[in-house]
Amino acid sequence: MLKFNTKLVSISTAAALTLSMTACMGDAITPTKASIGGGVLYPVVDGKTGPYHVNTDIEKLKINNGRVATKDELHAWNTDIMPDGTGLEEGEGSVEEGEEVYEAKCVMCHGDFGSGGGGYPSLSKGSAEELQKTLTNQRLKPDTDGPVRVFGTYWPEASTLWWYIKDAMPHPSTGTLSVDETYALVAYILNINEMSIDGEEVDDEYVLNREKFLKVKMPNKGNFEPNIDGPDSLKGIREYWTHPENFGAIKVKPAERCMTNCQKPTAKVVYIKNGGINDFHPPMAVSRNLPEVKEEKGFDAKIAYEANCAMCHGTDGMGAPVLGDKDGWDEYTSKGMNNVYANGINGINGMPPKGGSSLSDKDFKTVVDYIVNLSK
Amino acid sequence: MDIKKSQQASKSDQTETNAIDRRDFFRKTAALSATALAGTSILSSNAMADDEAIMKMPKWASAWGDPITKNLYGMPSEYEHNVTRRYTKLLASGNFRASIAVTPIHESKGIITPNGLFFSRSHGGIAHIDPNEHRLMIHGLVEKPIVLTMKELQRYPSVTRTHFIECPANGGQEWRGPQYNSLQFAKGFMSCAEWTGVYIKDILNDLGLKPTAQWMLAEGGDSSKMGRTIPIDKVLDDAMIVWGQNGEALRPEQGYPIRLLVPGWEGNLCVKWLRRIEFAAEPWYCKEETSKYSVLKPNGKAVQHFYANEVNSTVVSPSPEIDWSDLKDGQIIEIEGLAWSGMGTITSVDISFNGGRTYTEAKLKGLVLPKCWTRWSYMHTYKKGEKLLLTSRAMDDAGYIQPTIDQEITAVGVEAVYHRNAVETWEVTPEGKINHVQMRSNYKRAKDGSILIEGEA
Repeated sequence: MLKFNTKLVSISTAAALTLSMTACMGDAITPTKASIGGGVLYPVVDGKTGPYHVNTDIEKLKINNGRVATKDELHAWNTDIMPDGTGLEEGEGSVEEGEEVYEAKCVMCHGDFGSGGGGYPSLSKGSAEELQKTLTNQRLKPDTDGPVRVFGTYWPEASTLWWYIKDAMPHPSTGTLSVDETYALVAYILNINEMSIDGEEVDDEYVLNREKFLKVKMPNKGNFEPNIDGPDSLKGIREYWTHPENFGAIKVKPAERCMTNCQKPTAKVVYIKNGGINDFHPPMAVSRNLPEVKEEKGFDAKIAYEANCAMCHGTDGMGAPVLGDKDGWDEYTSKGMNNVYANGINGINGMPPKGGSSLSDKDFKTVVDYIVNLSK
Repeated sequence: MDIKKSQQASKSDQTETNAIDRRDFFRKTAALSATALAGTSILSSNAMADDEAIMKMPKWASAWGDPITKNLYGMPSEYEHNVTRRYTKLLASGNFRASIAVTPIHESKGIITPNGLFFSRSHGGIAHIDPNEHRLMIHGLVEKPIVLTMKELQRYPSVTRTHFIECPANGGQEWRGPQYNSLQFAKGFMSCAEWTGVYIKDILNDLGLKPTAQWMLAEGGDSSKMGRTIPIDKVLDDAMIVWGQNGEALRPEQGYPIRLLVPGWEGNLCVKWLRRIEFAAEPWYCKEETSKYSVLKPNGKAVQHFYANEVNSTVVSPSPEIDWSDLKDGQIIEIEGLAWSGMGTITSVDISFNGGRTYTEAKLKGLVLPKCWTRWSYMHTYKKGEKLLLTSRAMDDAGYIQPTIDQEITAVGVEAVYHRNAVETWEVTPEGKINHVQMRSNYKRAKDGSILIEGEA
């Protein structure tokens, strides 16, 4: 006797579509229906889903845990922004203001004009419209340029940028930007991507607000598949994943799979070039021995500097005074070393407290001394 | 009497007795099998030096060990310190907050990854959340939007499932050729565990999902507020909110106190430090589902909402890390591996000794569960000096089979970053060393932009 999970069908018509069963189901473990992602479903049959037993009594019960959320609570956490502007507050900010905020809070990771650095993403490589055309580039040969995948060239919706900046930036202290600062930063990023809104160039004088923001057209919007927009999009998504050729997959009957001559005659053994990537930490080892007892060398300011500070203080263009830059450091040390220590320990501009390190105050000051001494 | 002297004195007698036993044994067994014993002797003989590990009493065989009051939360033996997650600076933001540490697959045992070795990926560092101060909010297109404390959440009936979680960028650095001579880095962006939590559909039983609800947003409560959009089909199938991992609470690296588990689908969807779930009629366009985790094809179209990690496999033993350089000629050795599919359950694994030109079927081992690591095995007689190209290829019950590298690249190009599941190859050198290699052709662009194999008509 087959027992189907009927409870869910009443919850949602979408569920009914995916959980409906064919009449000829035999083996409880054999899946019969495709999942939306192209895989198989293991519906609950005779109290089991695949190999797992389930307590199907749960379906008949309404377990009343938790409490209703208050309006204020919902408002506090419901901060997402949708492409149609749902959730997007009124406000405004100019490219000029955006550049100021950027120089203070963003440049140390994203580099001058969003050029990237320190492992953090680039925000622009130039004209979004022009560079969107690079998306068909493929690095099949050495020295060929790859596709440029940055906000302007690749992202399908601008709402993603606004939401992400507001909730998840700046990286060391997220959720601290005001609505207007967020508009300003978005305006600046549109500007460095050389984008236009409603035919008007987002130039250095541009002031962005909600109404204008909702008119942003992303150059690459039409190039994502499957389509996920609209109330009936799930249908199209289910359909998309039933075609293995859409995503480079291969389906075959088990008995018909290739067992001989399964490689092209042109396929050759290709080795790792130039030693490959072997920057592994800790270094690769498989022996069974006791860990090396590290000699107590005391605190090494140089090592601490390289691990915690060099990313921003080691190169130009990250907004932080560079190690060795006498003039750059004089500006701070002239106010006294206690001031420099305090700036570092508490954080200043885009620098998080102690540069995001977990150094003690004492060790941190030793690192500051190390940097300042090398910058005289 | 001096013990050592006594042992030496009796040695010559023993040698003689053993020699006789040995001849006798050979006479008896030779008729049964002339070759079975080739290369190894299982007979005791004092022709060899005695093993100090046996002859000398180690300190632990005599002295007290630790009191049981020590290490009340157990730790691995200190001798296992090399079995650890590892990271590379090439896959990290400068300060290791948006970063990954990967699992030592070459040391993996069975189908469970210990919690301390489970691969770890974060977007804003590892948050340390006080469970008393953490809430889960479920709202949007539901009749009753609710807030749950962790205690209230864990009072729902629990479900326990064993599933892998895989970052879809596993192997993603190797589209243009092999990069890592290491199994840990070539395939270690994944792990497998037994998870305990609650089906989201069981919570929705009470909240009442509105018929217009098509999408679910899951959002983390850490500083990165990682969010992803998931179609309602999966939510009502097997998506879970989990708090247990291998019989204990999630580790902070895995999202303590709770994370989303979307079995078989992209690891990135399994949002850690989960604090908010919202239902809507339209998708959200979260940052990680377009800017990243989309597969750019040669025609410039990008596949978004690429959900399942497709069928995949790897040889685990041998590996570049633990090779065959110590094997003797004629030694029988198990070639062991893992296979997994986010589309369903592994049905077969084939192994090739010539880089995937010809295959023979291997045996599956142990439990074979949906969307779970599956062990496979093949018994091999090693010939000293042999050169092999070991390739494994898995199939799942959805009917998918791993493509060759040529098949995958001509379909999706080399700029996809994510969802690379073509077969991988280990070269076994005559010295028994293992090199990660790839079997691939040279490629060129056709006039219409599609990718062709050079030298093919």
